[in-house]
Amino acid sequence: MILDPLILVTAGVCLLAGVGLYGLLASRNLIKLIVAMQILTKAAVLALVAAGAASGRINLSQSLAITVIVVDTVVAAVGLALGVQVRKRFGSLDAANLASLRR
Amino acid sequence: MVPAVILLTILFPWTGALLVSITGDSRPRLQHFLAVLFSAVSGAFAIVLLLNTLPVWEGIVPAWVATDPYFSIPLGGAFGNVSFMADGLGVYLAAIAAVIGSLAILFSVDYMRGEKQLGRYYAYILLFIGAMTGLVLTTNMLFLFFFWEITALCSYVLISFNNDDPKAVAGGIKALIVTQLGGVGLLLGALLAYTVLGTYEIGVFIEKAPLAIPAFGLSIAAFGFLVAAAAKSAQFPFQTWLPDAMEAPTPVSALIHAATMVNAGVYLLARFFPAFEGVPGWKEAVIAVGVITALLAAFMALVATDLKRVLAYSTVSQLGYMVYGIGAGGIFASQVHLLSHSVFKALLFLGAGAVIHSIATRDMREMGGLGKKMPFTQIAFIIGALALAGIPPLNGFWSKELVLESGLVDGPRTAYYLMLFGAGLTAVYTFRMVAMVFFGKPRSEQHGHDAGLAMKISLGLLALGACATWLFTGRFGALLAGTLPLHSIHFLGVKELALELFTAKATYLALAVVALGLLIGWQRERLTGLVSLLRIPAGWARDSFGFEWINRRISAAVRGSAGGLSHTQTGQLNWNIAGILLGLVILLILMALGS
Repeated sequence: MILDPLILVTAGVCLLAGVGLYGLLASRNLIKLIVAMQILTKAAVLALVAAGAASGRINLSQSLAITVIVVDTVVAAVGLALGVQVRKRFGSLDAANLASLRR
Repeated sequence: MVPAVILLTILFPWTGALLVSITGDSRPRLQHFLAVLFSAVSGAFAIVLLLNTLPVWEGIVPAWVATDPYFSIPLGGAFGNVSFMADGLGVYLAAIAAVIGSLAILFSVDYMRGEKQLGRYYAYILLFIGAMTGLVLTTNMLFLFFFWEITALCSYVLISFNNDDPKAVAGGIKALIVTQLGGVGLLLGALLAYTVLGTYEIGVFIEKAPLAIPAFGLSIAAFGFLVAAAAKSAQFPFQTWLPDAMEAPTPVSALIHAATMVNAGVYLLARFFPAFEGVPGWKEAVIAVGVITALLAAFMALVATDLKRVLAYSTVSQLGYMVYGIGAGGIFASQVHLLSHSVFKALLFLGAGAVIHSIATRDMREMGGLGKKMPFTQIAFIIGALALAGIPPLNGFWSKELVLESGLVDGPRTAYYLMLFGAGLTAVYTFRMVAMVFFGKPRSEQHGHDAGLAMKISLGLLALGACATWLFTGRFGALLAGTLPLHSIHFLGVKELALELFTAKATYLALAVVALGLLIGWQRERLTGLVSLLRIPAGWARDSFGFEWINRRISAAVRGSAGGLSHTQTGQLNWNIAGILLGLVILLILMALGS
């Protein structure tokens, strides 16, 4: 049986997105949340490249993918910096502490 | 040349705003100077634009001047082009905004001397002048909306200028919320036009909308615009924000809340009149809004005791006259009244500002007998008051008669008689106001002094305007008729106007009503029997006919529901993610069902 590469890539996107979403839903540790978000973003990058390959506009999709990677790195950096602050102020990395920001 | 002048009129005040901010509050003299300079130059440009527009349209100017009155800067995106056009409605309102703006700023040199944070004050006034000229000159509905919101923002900031006074802050927020609500109607109309016609150009909309847009969509746009206009011009049922906006420094009230920004709603209705004329019920709704507002506000002006609030109610009432004029199809009449009202109401507000500056209270019960201490202000104020009451030969007489006449010819009779009654009420409250402030015996210890030089210059120029602007009625009508082919404008020159007004019976009827009003105002002390009879309705008027209560209930309901809904915000990240996922799933299901 020969698998269509597009189907393979789509399966990969779904797998990565599933792992990322599960991590975001189930975890309360800030570091784990950032890792899960990274995985979710990688699913998006993969989907962008696959979409470009499928539609024949690979230039556009590659430049978008690069943009997403750059933005994603910045998000991760800021998220980790916030994590450091949370650890300093609350003494733990539990995201549930942040509920006190509500008020 | 026209594009350059348009851009300069808009950008000059904005540059001034920037420079005043950069100058910093440690150099107030330079700030005063810069603000006066930039607003005056912008006013000069607006007048140049006004004088050149008709020749450009008729093509009778030298080749180096003659350009298309329309120009646009492509943005290449979903916003359409930034386009401007010099036509009768636009250039004339731009001239009002820029010229009265510069006079208000000149007045501020005396009024605001020694105040802190002048940078904030002048920067927002200049920003406002630029936005107002942009609002009336642009032909892109989306940019019309942007300029519309910039003026609302400036109005909010300037009402709350004394931001350590809770009343000022509350008044500013109220004005902002009410005008924002109206802005939604404008945005809705603009987006609807874009979806159907594929362009934001106002000209295209006016020309094609009655045929191209389905009746239901067009009536949504028409009533959306009516809501926007009513909110901006403080018309029924949104009239409550304007009196509370009187916490602003008085030159701001004169400029924004009497002469220019509140006219934006009237401008909007006049501009889009040909597009919505045919919508069933729209003209009747406009007339009803105008009549109800004019009468309610006149009653409230009759019982108010705060000098600036009396003027604010009177502004609302006069705006009602303009809206009524538009509903009856009298675009020309309503625009002439707009000009007259801008001039004499700016004069009245600045005169009130001189009084308030001099004796440091706004309560008319503590005034009285001020005429001896401030003779110049008294004369200027009385000229404005007579124009407001509609006494010939001042400009208010001509324009009010024009509005009433177009209402008599094309509008329902009942509305006409109600508006005639309103003219009588105007005379009563005007007389009461002047008598309480300038005549009689002083009711408290005051150390009044007359206005300063800068104040006198602005007051004098405006008083001159109140005596003379009606002389330009004919030229202005020609300008409107020549540049707005779709509005089917019938205008009269000064001679025909005088002939028509002085031979019509309706004019003498209106004058008799006004005279009766003045008589009642004069003899109000002897009419105590009548006054005590009217004590109950007067109480209603003092409570603003229950509208304040409705406002408080609405804001309490919003607060309550917000408090209730805040329980859904757990602050837990995982729950938020679950919510996002749920939304995604619902979206996917909807898309699957749709395809």
